Amino acid sequence: MHGVIIMATVKINGKEITVQDNTLILDAARDAGFEIPTFCYQADLMGIGSCRMCLVEIEGQKKLQPSCITPVLHGMSINTETPTVISARASMLEFLLANHALDCPVCDKGGECELQDMVYKYGPHKGRHAEKKFKFQEKDYALSPVIIKNSNRCVQCQKCVRVCAEVVGANVLGALGRGDHQEETSFFRHFLDCDQDGNCIEVCPVGCFMRLPYRYRTRPWDLKGADTVCPYCGTGCRMVIEHRDGVLIRSKAQLGVGLNSETLCARGRFGCDFASSTERLKTPLIRRGGSLEPASWEEALGYIKEHIPVNIGNKMGGIASPRLTNEELYLFQKLLRDIFGSPNLDSTARWEPEATEGFIKATGMDEGGVSVFDCMESDSVLVIGSHLSDENPVTDYIVRRIKNTRRMSLIIASPREMKLDSSATIKLRHSPGREAAVLDAIALAVNAGKPSPAEGAALKDAKIEDLIASAGVTKGAVEQIAQRLLAANSIAIIAGMEFLRHPEGIPELGLLKEALKSSGKKVLVMPALDRANQRGAWEMGVHPAFGPGYGPVKDKGLGCAGMLEAANRGDLDMMYIAGADVAAMHPDEEFTRKALLKLKLLVVQDIFLSETAKLAHVVLPGSSFAEKEGTFTNQEGRAQIIRKLLPPPGKAKRDLDVIRAVGEVYDPSFGPKMPVLVLDEIRNAAGMYAHVSLAFNNKRNTENKLDNRHALVQGSATSALSVTRFSAATTEPEGRFHLTTGNHLFHSGRFSRRSGTLLGLLSAAVVEISEKDAASLNLKSGDKVKVKGRHYEAILSLKTKKGSKEGVAFIAENYDDVPVNRFFKKGEPAPRVDITKVTY
Amino acid sequence: MEKVLLKNLGKPDSHRIENYIANGGYRALEAALKLKPDNIVQMVKDSGLRGRGGAGFSTGLKWSFIPKDPTIPKYLCCNADEGEPGTFKDRGIIDNDPHLLVEGMAIASYAIGAANSYIYIRGEFAFGADRLEAAIKEATEKGYLGNNIQGSGFSHNMYVHKGFGAYICGEETALLESIEGYRGQPRKKPPFPALSGLYAKPTVINNVETLACIPAIIEKGPKWFSSMGPEKSPGPKIYCVSGHVKKPGLYELPMGTTVRDLIFNHCGGMLKNRELKAVIPGGVSAPMLTTRDLDTPLDFDSLAAKGSMLGSGAVIVMDESTCMVKMALIINRFFSHESCGKCTPCRDGTPWLTNILKRIEGGQGRQGDVELLESLCTNIFGRTFCPLGDGAVMALRGALKNFRDEFQYHIDHKKCMAS
Repeated sequence: MHGVIIMATVKINGKEITVQDNTLILDAARDAGFEIPTFCYQADLMGIGSCRMCLVEIEGQKKLQPSCITPVLHGMSINTETPTVISARASMLEFLLANHALDCPVCDKGGECELQDMVYKYGPHKGRHAEKKFKFQEKDYALSPVIIKNSNRCVQCQKCVRVCAEVVGANVLGALGRGDHQEETSFFRHFLDCDQDGNCIEVCPVGCFMRLPYRYRTRPWDLKGADTVCPYCGTGCRMVIEHRDGVLIRSKAQLGVGLNSETLCARGRFGCDFASSTERLKTPLIRRGGSLEPASWEEALGYIKEHIPVNIGNKMGGIASPRLTNEELYLFQKLLRDIFGSPNLDSTARWEPEATEGFIKATGMDEGGVSVFDCMESDSVLVIGSHLSDENPVTDYIVRRIKNTRRMSLIIASPREMKLDSSATIKLRHSPGREAAVLDAIALAVNAGKPSPAEGAALKDAKIEDLIASAGVTKGAVEQIAQRLLAANSIAIIAGMEFLRHPEGIPELGLLKEALKSSGKKVLVMPALDRANQRGAWEMGVHPAFGPGYGPVKDKGLGCAGMLEAANRGDLDMMYIAGADVAAMHPDEEFTRKALLKLKLLVVQDIFLSETAKLAHVVLPGSSFAEKEGTFTNQEGRAQIIRKLLPPPGKAKRDLDVIRAVGEVYDPSFGPKMPVLVLDEIRNAAGMYAHVSLAFNNKRNTENKLDNRHALVQGSATSALSVTRFSAATTEPEGRFHLTTGNHLFHSGRFSRRSGTLLGLLSAAVVEISEKDAASLNLKSGDKVKVKGRHYEAILSLKTKKGSKEGVAFIAENYDDVPVNRFFKKGEPAPRVDITKVTY
Repeated sequence: MEKVLLKNLGKPDSHRIENYIANGGYRALEAALKLKPDNIVQMVKDSGLRGRGGAGFSTGLKWSFIPKDPTIPKYLCCNADEGEPGTFKDRGIIDNDPHLLVEGMAIASYAIGAANSYIYIRGEFAFGADRLEAAIKEATEKGYLGNNIQGSGFSHNMYVHKGFGAYICGEETALLESIEGYRGQPRKKPPFPALSGLYAKPTVINNVETLACIPAIIEKGPKWFSSMGPEKSPGPKIYCVSGHVKKPGLYELPMGTTVRDLIFNHCGGMLKNRELKAVIPGGVSAPMLTTRDLDTPLDFDSLAAKGSMLGSGAVIVMDESTCMVKMALIINRFFSHESCGKCTPCRDGTPWLTNILKRIEGGQGRQGDVELLESLCTNIFGRTFCPLGDGAVMALRGALKNFRDEFQYHIDHKKCMAS
């Protein structure tokens, strides 16, 4: 029967329709155009049929049936609008209102409350409840720095509990008590130490779970919104940002829209207040007598013209942030290449350009977009080199949700314990930076020890025993993984940023992909990226080795590290850095500062006075994602529109206008002016984008429930990428812990540190080690510890994780007070650190 | 009539395995292990045994729904969460004759191919739980449980799982949730437990009394069983009688014994020879009967025809001094207290009923309260997730139907008619 779709014909209110067998009556009725109200139903959650709003009449059945958990049967005759059904709806609302607080005038949800709407629509319009109401508590109570709760308004739909368990995987909510005393809250109402993503708030139909930062700040009808894309990680969540009186005060997800539907993570839901930060740059600055002084745009542009000669060529370098739009990035590389004649371009301060090029090739980004939903249709999914739960939280939700609803295996290989582990079929804890050995071992095991022709010479002399020793894993675990992969017909690999931190794994990623393909498997690879438009930046050609659409370039230039070295040598005079905080993010802080200070001219375009901007000669104030139009390309290769909500503050300009203004200094026809016109030029220059459709709203459709492939970029016809083999990195011999870095769950790079709300979630950096290591050092979570490396030491509080690999210490790279790049030294082995308790 | 369910009650040390075996115990299991599982299922079907927990579903049919695939693990769960007020029949067996249950479960497990079974016992039955644990230990030592039972090749382990005091966990799917360690709330059906029950595996859930019938069916044959009582609901039945009778207690009688026979013959008549006012025939969810219904046989179909139900067989007898409003309040308060909170009508409807009843009983009734109660009953009945809410409504409706004037009197006169 596999693959055969059985259809059922049913009558709904006399209208005959044919749907797939097992379709829920609710979905069938909605498809047929009949409205059925619900509270507890949510397409992405398991049905519980508890609110009883969706009761319908089925001919031949005595009782009304809940349409949200009852599938159609061929020949069924269903009525959704009979007097009994209508009165049942009204009676459910009457019951829900019986103990409801009815404090709409002071409720944040007033005006967008599903209970209000339903009572308005389905009655009852007269109250009969004249008994004393049961009250859970007199005052609202905070569950976390971002969640506040009023249980008296609850309709007990349990969506909060279910989204937390089934989608987020945090499992921190549950129900206390029984009957009308049942309260959905944290266990024993303790303050929550959770993901703080507020998905419980988003799914709450009433004012029971509420946003603390948004509390009492507005009425929903006083908000103006823009439907846009989250500026944080590469998942590319759709969201609506809203402002009142010019202050961005809320971002929310929309049910059934975007790949994220109703979900967002803490960064997306609470972190967008950075756009309204008082620290935003509002005017151009010019360095005069050692300090940066406010200036006019004419002065700033004049300063640039005076210092940068046209066709400066190799003496110039440009770095543009992967948070800029495709249009801005395209124009930026055009400015560098066509106006200044410089091939020196990069979009990141963190990775080597050879590494990014190899990663693009190995993950097949030049072959076009790969939908995360297609990946999750595979029989087996391997997540490697990514701390997905923290770096791409909503991708983590999608993986968890789909994994729980179908038969498939999920394999996670990572040194650190992560939330998604609980959904994994197999989890492999390997030594940090040893993705290469892990992949080789799996590839060897897949071919039962004999390398396949695809693996060629690369694995000829490799022995699985050496590989597992190097990876710090067991042979049994690797063989289990190989068995799972061999049993699968289709396999998806989600490969993350660790491959860029440890690029020696990149060629092996390609090898495993080929090995699996050569044994007849369908293989999809999706990169997991930590910046909103990282993929867009590469595809726009902001890279020293390739142009737009991964096309070849005449001369290969220098990447970020190369530019800094050239600057240090005196071979590079000027840099234009747009949005990237090189001084904070480039490994080896001391060297970076020294190199930047040697520049004759440093132009920084940013929205805050970043560490890099503080060193600049000219600072140009740009715009946040909320203040411009354009497109982002997410990690899947899905191009999505971002829309303008507010004007840039003060004299700041849209980034596109800033880049264009700089170009116009040299060529008055430099452009185009409008983002849409730039996109047209991109469609011409990068064939991958020629047919991308932006009319993408991800509404459910019959073809592929929650997806739309027209938004994915095509394969590149001009791709000329190559994979560089990096020699294995060495680590220092001294020190108990191997130091690793990455993004914290609440942060992304440095600019999330400008969000007051996110700062409030976790104000200081922590160092994370395994529980076992902590126990042997006599340390526990929350202890103040000293992390001592060869070049730097810091005092941090400790966090322990149960299942992490021993001998690994992790510090998030997002905290200004602990610049992790000070632990690293250019040209030296990866740092090791010791951790000791600090006693005062 | 020869007792089979309560035969060992009252005998000294009836809970010890030596005494159980001396009285002919475990012979049915030995005989059953020589039969094919399918034959046992057929025997139980032929006996006409219907579930004694309240729903009265054919036990043999329920067993026959279990898939035959030997590679799929299967479970038997014994529902010993005897929580319906007025019911104490299972407790009688558990406390005094635990091996009868263990033997019945072992046969049932063999019939459906379950390698493991659970007895879900309410937490209040701590004594009974200890007795069961001891009985399982004894039976395992004697080779009636554990590996390769009596050399038959069939292995079976039995576990006792104590509940934590929720009436809802007597509902079979809530019971499964509770064993699995989740909150005791009912699951949606379908899938039915026979296909996806405990740990999503095929599961049979039977009441204690049902399982206690099994050894007798094996030993004496299905014909013997079905010859007793009415054709459609045959067999012996334990009636637990409480309230205003001279001799309350457990009575094992043929199914279909009339109310009159039970009260005035077996139980020695009404206490203090007062007039009988009402009888609840099957636990508090069953609508009450009045003097008009005394000749109703106490079996599934006859009571259903009268608009009531046999339920658990808990017969609660009330005499003329009983205030029906107070009775309705006590019963309703039980249901609203035990409502699990999952579905709207039961969670928010039953406390509303309780509040109104409390007012009427306390002399704070308002005109229109009776009509409001009736309207709320309509809004709850048939719309709840599980039968708990329905039970609350049925009980209240029974009181309102038969004693409406007493409710109205309470409202009009702010006092009770009966006392």
